[in-house]
Amino acid sequence: MLNKIAELINKNVSGANAVVNVATDAKCDSSITVEASKILPVVSFLRGNTEMPFNSLHVISGVDYVDYMEVCYMMTHYDLTDPREFILKVKVTDRVNPKLDSIVQVYAAANFQEREVYDMFGITFTNHPDHRRILCPDDWEGFPLRKDYVTQKMYNGMEVYPDSKMNFEDREYIVRQNMIKQAQKASASTESEG
Amino acid sequence: MQTRWDIGEPEAPTINSETEQLKSELLTLNMGPQHPATHGVLRIEIWTDSEIVAHAIPHLGYLHRCMEKHAENLDYRGIIPFVDRLDYLAAMNMEWTYAMTVEKMLGTEVPRRAELLRIITGELQRIASHLMAFGTYALDLGAFTPFLYAFEEREKILRLFEEVSGSRLLYNYIWIGGVWNDWTNEQIERASQFCDTMEEEAKKYHELVSTNKIFIERTANVGVMSLQDCFDYGASGPVLRGSGFKWDLRKNIPYSLYSEFDFDVPVGTGEVGQVGDCWNRYIVRMKEVVESIKIIRQAIAKLEPGPVMGKVPKIIKLPKGEVYVRAECPRGELAFHLVSEEGGKKPYRLKVKSPCFTHVSMLPHIAPGQMIADFVASVGSIDIVLGEVDR
Repeated sequence: MLNKIAELINKNVSGANAVVNVATDAKCDSSITVEASKILPVVSFLRGNTEMPFNSLHVISGVDYVDYMEVCYMMTHYDLTDPREFILKVKVTDRVNPKLDSIVQVYAAANFQEREVYDMFGITFTNHPDHRRILCPDDWEGFPLRKDYVTQKMYNGMEVYPDSKMNFEDREYIVRQNMIKQAQKASASTESEG
Repeated sequence: MQTRWDIGEPEAPTINSETEQLKSELLTLNMGPQHPATHGVLRIEIWTDSEIVAHAIPHLGYLHRCMEKHAENLDYRGIIPFVDRLDYLAAMNMEWTYAMTVEKMLGTEVPRRAELLRIITGELQRIASHLMAFGTYALDLGAFTPFLYAFEEREKILRLFEEVSGSRLLYNYIWIGGVWNDWTNEQIERASQFCDTMEEEAKKYHELVSTNKIFIERTANVGVMSLQDCFDYGASGPVLRGSGFKWDLRKNIPYSLYSEFDFDVPVGTGEVGQVGDCWNRYIVRMKEVVESIKIIRQAIAKLEPGPVMGKVPKIIKLPKGEVYVRAECPRGELAFHLVSEEGGKKPYRLKVKSPCFTHVSMLPHIAPGQMIADFVASVGSIDIVLGEVDR
């Protein structure tokens, strides 16, 4: 099915460059990657075509692979006889000022989902009608789900992770228990070898 | 950065010529975060023209616990208690979906008895969750008694779950590869007795609430979501079925053992009001309770002694790749997008697709033109749990 969709996209949207990523493991899901700049025409084509339409967008999920970031659009077709779904992906390589076209005009579901991706990964969606953070506070610094995220030290005059409220005793206890276990294991292995 | 004012000053809606003359400046009202009608800590900023809502802006994040960030630092088994706390009224279904996600990537075979026990617990949890929805919805509309009736029955389910799993709300019962503990024959007998009483109770609820004149006046033709809106916004579960679309993952894309079961998918038919209004969404939930009872009875009949835990390695390591797994939960379709690295003991990324998050995004669409009291009825009818919205 994915090959057919990729073919359709390539035929109808010029420069979309749709490629099927076949999963290396049979138990995992395959997906389709398209050019980041062409996401809006690709999505509107997928919704509007008659051959293989997708009438709903389930969710937009971002993944940070350090070298680049990926935005996954879970496309679904609610149909009683022929339900289908697939993962549509775009790669965003710019980490400093990442930008994508908003697809709110095609799927209204994208409104909150794009705001969440912006909140967590800092990807700006151009032409979004209400572009601001959704889960974190408006004045939060940094984008939490990026792999290089560092928690801010102070927030509105309050200390984040204050020492007085951290449970260091429990942590030490766990570390000590692990050390004891490792020591036991090491001694057991030397005994068996001896 | 853009601000929320960029969406432009909303125009006050025109209901008829009378209100046109009364049109005055818009008043901003904050509904929540501590408001009994928002079912948790949801804040909705409402711009009103006298008593008519002109614009509603949901503000989320009051219960944001960074579950997705936490998940990146935990092993696959350790995430289950966090998943419980997403939708704390349907924790069993949350665990089940998560377990299915990891099992799909791991390729684990779940024993038949464990699958059946999962179905029994999942459906009992669905009944408990719908009872809560029923009780609190009536409470939103000013009726206190149904809440007590609903809690009486819900309590029986929670007692049973407490015996089986050890806790009343957040169970950590469904594990990767099976379930934690087997049910005794006595517990199964109690579940089947509960089905009998629940069937009678459901009839009582219809007499008490569904056909009640005041309830119908408050909910029929209120907060109508057309089928096209539902597709646009990606709605699922009772909201989609209330709009008249006969879609249920258990039936249309069966997972677990659901293909063996005989049950019906109730949809809103517009007996009262029109399809897609609050009453139809409500009645879909009440009819689903009866269908769940049917499924539990069939599952009990199919039960045979056997193991309840499949073969799962001591340390779970998943192959490189990603999966997207959906399941039908009481509030809609829950899905997990799990990305794993080669030989990783922890998920590289775990994204939760929460049905309530999607449904909350529909509120600004249906709010304009409603009375404030009707807006409360609309918020109640989508049955939100903020733990799942904010994650």
